[in-house]
Amino acid sequence: MSGYKRVSGDAVEYEVFARKTRVEPLHQVGSVVAPDADLAMAYARATYDEERWCEMAIVRKEDVIHLWSPGDA
Amino acid sequence: MSLRAPSLEADIAAAAMGLDDLGHSRVLYGCLEPLGADPRGTERESDAASLRNLPYFDEPWTEWSQFVAANAILDTAFTVMIEACVNGSVEVLQHRLRKMLMEERYHFLHGRSWLRSGIETGPLNRAWQEAIEWFGPPDGDTARLHREGKLSMGPAELRGRLEEQMETKAPQTEVDWKQWDAVRRRGRKGAIDAHTFGMLRGLEEKKYAPPTAAKQAAT
Repeated sequence: MSGYKRVSGDAVEYEVFARKTRVEPLHQVGSVVAPDADLAMAYARATYDEERWCEMAIVRKEDVIHLWSPGDA
Repeated sequence: MSLRAPSLEADIAAAAMGLDDLGHSRVLYGCLEPLGADPRGTERESDAASLRNLPYFDEPWTEWSQFVAANAILDTAFTVMIEACVNGSVEVLQHRLRKMLMEERYHFLHGRSWLRSGIETGPLNRAWQEAIEWFGPPDGDTARLHREGKLSMGPAELRGRLEEQMETKAPQTEVDWKQWDAVRRRGRKGAIDAHTFGMLRGLEEKKYAPPTAAKQAAT
């Protein structure tokens, strides 16, 4: 197994969002680390499928544009 | 499986896909009757060599590349066979197997991504060989079910579809169909090891089960 890294290629963090019903908004349920969107989708489904989600989506963390963050004035 | 995945995420995904496939087996056993009689007999309780598993699963895997090859090639071979069932003429298969294809999509994405990272050719070539053997000979039962319309693809079409999905041609393979076991759909003899067979039968877990009331009374 020494030839394998934790992920192949460069690791990218993805935020995972989901909701159970159409009337509720998507909310963040966790995150996964993967080298590409294919693997990130597979990891998100495998890791966060304990609920009966009607929708699940992933977003590259670096694509989230922060207006402000904790600690900002 | 005495094998560790390279990451916790990969471990979780592997376990989840295994559970998916167990669920798929349960669904399949319940609706395959229109394709022919159940070939399993009582010997499957006592004889590991009677199980219809591919040789690829005879021994526990020791390398992550073995898992990746199985996930990418053999699981996708299974998926294209399910596609052939869903697009065939058997109504119960058309309806009951459709959800399976949605779940298998994530198995495919997982396998394809890990395959792109590059793995040894040994497990990969073996998986391709056994997938082609599993599809069956040009004049076998898969071909017959295709002619009858029950499957939308025969062996050649299944292989072509698998190559299309994997975006590559299968490596050069030679199958001696005269030596091929038509019941177990494999080209070589062998069976899973006794320990794994015991686990499949639930015997290994029984070691850890609490003693029954009767046993407690006897002691």
